[in-house]
Amino acid sequence: MKLTSVVLTILVALVLQVTLARYMVGGRWAFDLVLVGVIFAALQWGPVAGMFAGTMGGLAQDVLAGDVVGIGGLSKTIAGFLSGTIGQQLLLVRPSARAVIVGMATIVHRLLMIGVFALIDQQWPAVSWGAMLAEVIINTSCGLIAFQAAAALPNALERQRMSRRSSLSRRNW
Amino acid sequence: MRSTFSLFIVICLGHVLLISAQVQSKSGLPVLQSVAFGSFARAQQLTTGVADTGRSIWTNYFALRGAARENAALRQRILDLEVQLQEQQARGSRAQTLENALGLKESLVARTLVANVIAGNPQPGSLTVMIDRGTDDGVELGMAVIGERGIVGRIIAPLARDAANVQLIVGRSAAAAVTFERSNTGGMVMGGYGDPPLRAAYVSSLATVQPGERVLTSGQDGIYPRGFPIGVVESAERNSSGAREITVRPAVDFSHIDVVLVVLDRPARTAPSGK
Repeated sequence: MKLTSVVLTILVALVLQVTLARYMVGGRWAFDLVLVGVIFAALQWGPVAGMFAGTMGGLAQDVLAGDVVGIGGLSKTIAGFLSGTIGQQLLLVRPSARAVIVGMATIVHRLLMIGVFALIDQQWPAVSWGAMLAEVIINTSCGLIAFQAAAALPNALERQRMSRRSSLSRRNW
Repeated sequence: MRSTFSLFIVICLGHVLLISAQVQSKSGLPVLQSVAFGSFARAQQLTTGVADTGRSIWTNYFALRGAARENAALRQRILDLEVQLQEQQARGSRAQTLENALGLKESLVARTLVANVIAGNPQPGSLTVMIDRGTDDGVELGMAVIGERGIVGRIIAPLARDAANVQLIVGRSAAAAVTFERSNTGGMVMGGYGDPPLRAAYVSSLATVQPGERVLTSGQDGIYPRGFPIGVVESAERNSSGAREITVRPAVDFSHIDVVLVVLDRPARTAPSGK
């Protein structure tokens, strides 16, 4: 597990989430970029990384949200661990397949949150299925972009390195 | 893989314990404390039950001397207390009439502080925002926050020197005491519902609340100043069980809040203005 990479992924996701959430307050569109970061870490570096990212991201989100600390942590830990395990078992490589996992994890995560809130409040909370669908679509799209970027980045760097090397060799000749 | 799964279980249990330590049960105790207390109480109930049975047999069957005399004395005491209660009710009614006559309602012009919204809530669905004013600017917990169109919410913890959290009125567990403008009846408006996100409760069943009616703060909650708009009644219908459901469309567009006003003066609790 690359600890620094996981921490960095979650930090970036958290900053993006807080910054962008400011423009979405009370709107119909909900998204959870921290969850996308957790699933990204889980699929890139395995279930332990997913679990760690989920715990860290979820707890940070809970503390910042001023809600009960641990609800987001628990939900994201489970989502991260499950996604990491599925990713390891199925050997998912294509960004689109990985993005589907993000969508599924969003549903699982949201249902877990609803379940925990229902247990705490002793009543079923009001659920906006439309908002959940929007969250699934936005999270999946963000996941697709992240996985495409992660897949394209090494190739782009390699191409750049190769072109630089060939131009140097031409110059030497 | 086994060690990973064990670690996963340990972390999940840690989260559950963490949640339990913070969440309060219906009795007001933390869940962890409540569960521990509940388990201990069951054992205690068992031992006490045995002791109580013995004592009740003695008290109810062998030690009934003087019960008739005690009964007569208690009846006399009830009669005395009923007379006292009626006297107190009469005094309360007179005091209410005097309060209304003196017009104790206050209409203060509150001091406000302009604040910019700098961040949303990282948790989707949690309706709070962060503003760039904190304790250094005189912001305190529970202060009302208003927008150009009406009530936005109130200041909640955590509170920093230069930043504060605002719980939006449409959020889960947010509520405000209100008055319906046309029917002049009181009630409570609570957030956290779907669309529209506000519902009215504790409204007199005799009041004729109609769609389109403006909903204003009544000031009775001691948080929101009196007379500020909260929203407009969207529907007032009876559900299948006969209970009335009043939905309220908020006056403020919560999808776009940039600048808000923090009300620095707390309103004095006003007398009920409802019917």
